[in-house]
Amino acid sequence: MDTALLLNTTMILTLTVITTPILLPLLSQTFQNSPTTITRTVKTAFLISLVPMAIFIYSGMESITSNWEWKFTMNFKIPISLKMDQYSMMFFPIALFVTWSILQFATWYMATEPYITKFFYYLLVFLIAMLTLTIANNLFLLFIGWEGVGIMSFLLIGWWQARAEANTAALQAIIYNRIGDIGLILSMAWLASTMNTWEMQQAFTATQTPTLPLLGLILAATGKSAQFGLHPWLPAAMEGPTPVSALLHSSTMVVAGIFLLIRTHPMFTNNHTALTLCLCLGALSTLFAATCAITQNDIKKIIAFSTSSQLGLMMVTIGLNLPQLAFLHISTHAFFKAMLFLCSGAIIHSLNGEQDIRKMGGLQKMLPTTTSCLTIGNLALMGTPFLAGFYSKDLIIESMNTSYLNTWALLLTLLATSFTATYTTRMTLLVQTGFTRIPTTTPINENNHTITNPITRLALGSIMAGLFITTSIIPTTTPPMTMPTFTKTAAIIVTTLGIILALELSTMTHMLTHPKQNAMMNFSSTLGYFNPLTHRLASLTLLNNGQKLASHLTDLFWYKKMGPEDFADLQVITAKTTTTLHTGLIKTYLGSFALSIILILLSH
Amino acid sequence: GQPDMAAYLTHQQKVLRLYKKSLRHLESWCIYRDKYRYFACLLRERFDKNKDVKDMVKATELLKAGEEEFWTNQHPQPYIFPDSPGGTSYERYDCYKIPEWCLDFWHPSEKAMYPDYFAKREQWKKLQRESWDKELKQLEEETPADGPRTEALPPARKPGHLPPLWWQYVTRPREIPM
Repeated sequence: MDTALLLNTTMILTLTVITTPILLPLLSQTFQNSPTTITRTVKTAFLISLVPMAIFIYSGMESITSNWEWKFTMNFKIPISLKMDQYSMMFFPIALFVTWSILQFATWYMATEPYITKFFYYLLVFLIAMLTLTIANNLFLLFIGWEGVGIMSFLLIGWWQARAEANTAALQAIIYNRIGDIGLILSMAWLASTMNTWEMQQAFTATQTPTLPLLGLILAATGKSAQFGLHPWLPAAMEGPTPVSALLHSSTMVVAGIFLLIRTHPMFTNNHTALTLCLCLGALSTLFAATCAITQNDIKKIIAFSTSSQLGLMMVTIGLNLPQLAFLHISTHAFFKAMLFLCSGAIIHSLNGEQDIRKMGGLQKMLPTTTSCLTIGNLALMGTPFLAGFYSKDLIIESMNTSYLNTWALLLTLLATSFTATYTTRMTLLVQTGFTRIPTTTPINENNHTITNPITRLALGSIMAGLFITTSIIPTTTPPMTMPTFTKTAAIIVTTLGIILALELSTMTHMLTHPKQNAMMNFSSTLGYFNPLTHRLASLTLLNNGQKLASHLTDLFWYKKMGPEDFADLQVITAKTTTTLHTGLIKTYLGSFALSIILILLSH
Repeated sequence: GQPDMAAYLTHQQKVLRLYKKSLRHLESWCIYRDKYRYFACLLRERFDKNKDVKDMVKATELLKAGEEEFWTNQHPQPYIFPDSPGGTSYERYDCYKIPEWCLDFWHPSEKAMYPDYFAKREQWKKLQRESWDKELKQLEEETPADGPRTEALPPARKPGHLPPLWWQYVTRPREIPM
């Protein structure tokens, strides 16, 4: 049996299966989509995609398939080439598993929506774009997927389009992603002009890449993966329904930027400027997001900032020149982050739309399955030993500790790890423990298997995924084997310190001291003052300059200054200069005349 | 008696609004109910201490000082109920709330899906046209000269009449659409 044929066939079959709900209604008169058919399609695709993953794990086979070529110029080829390497073959089952669970959950969550089939359709189109991005071997196909996920993100965030904040959030997502796209197009243009190809195999032959295209790629990743500087769209994207937050803004779309950097990492390997930039940017992002998450009170915003923080950590891993480890963190993070969002969705629906953790409490007794899975997800997020997050997160911190790179970035990452533990514990304590503060008359119900099955499946994934992936994939770089005990246990020590800090803060909230605003809390609550500063300042400068150019320049300059006024000003200047020259010393002038005449007469 | 509405707020209204919003922000600060109750009682005592001040100048100064104290002590993320303006599900379903006159533009095949409603719809519309003048007349008679006192509409006064603006009430959209 030809393994290569099986591998290629099953991968392309997966892609074909998920496009069927879009194509079949166009071809047949009677076929109608429904949420259940779409969920079952994605489940089928997941089961099919397990075959190439198994083939890869047991035989290490990778393949690149090139299909039809877009011939619009003679020497520039753009084929539809699909790269089935460890990244795409591992990502497909994970993305499809998470999507299947989210779609099953969404059949309950969005049951009261009039246009639920359109919602599932949008999620399916997003999934197709994301998988296209993953499997692309050339930057053109990747760009198609990149833009596709951006558009679907816009449509899904603004799903409830009558809500003003949802529309602004969708616009924010589009604009910030567009700024990142400038970088991607820059790199694509550079690549096309120097290497004359967009194929990844052919483009990575040079040993030294100049920094400019790498800066472009980093800008693209900053925009798409919400690194510091282009990050505000991610917390704002929580305006979309919870399945959208779970799928797009935690597991799949936001990792597209990091995935781009993983795919193009041969270009980065020898360029230390770019690597250091990634490292420092990632460290700053992870600390900033973790700081913001501590004082948030909306449960979805806490998880959104947590996503932002973990994306910063992935960027740090790219900066350490460890793309495989970054991919491992993407994979494990997908499981527990999607599960955290689904649990929060179950809690929100059970409390009749309440999203503020100040009005939740004691849910451990009321929603046992959901809160148990929430706890498992939080423990995995914190990097509890031997859960999923441990394998990736602990390895990242160990590699960082044993490398001879930026200590400042290391300190920031450790601080962010402890803050992760802090806000996670705070969320757990306020949501699950203590006396209840929920509003009265809440339809608390988790007896539906469409809620519990996805969450428990993802919980199983959160526990097992780390172990499974690390045992089945052979790392290309040797992980650090020996290090001092303190370095080895650094991550767990800072996590414990973070938990202690959270318990202290929680005790303080019980004490009878009147809480007040202070500078640190204000910084964290207003998300670092970033949003009003950039959003208002940028628009204000742009509009001011526009007004100056459009009206003031024409009227003031051409009509006034060039014509009458400036002429009059020039007159005044000449008059003033000559007045200063006219000092009025007649005797001195006569004396100088007489002296010069005497000198001339004498010289003759 | 009925509460009055006018173009300006009375001193009492301003004080009560300050009290309510400071209680809400206190609730955002003090998450646990027992702690909140303790500080809410202290706040109430502070308001009650000055409740019998008759001098309006002094009362206004106290109110101004109270507003300033509120501004410095407010919570950066106050708790807002989900359906209130600024809340998480405010205006969320407005995209599904279509006005009822769109029903007149439905295709006959679509109208055939709800035969009972559309069979009687013309009669209801005729009833609305007939009672409109009477509703307007009642509203004009019952509104005082310098503007309405409350937002509540009066009930129908004569037997056989319908309450004013009943059509807007009967055809209002659902809160959460199906």
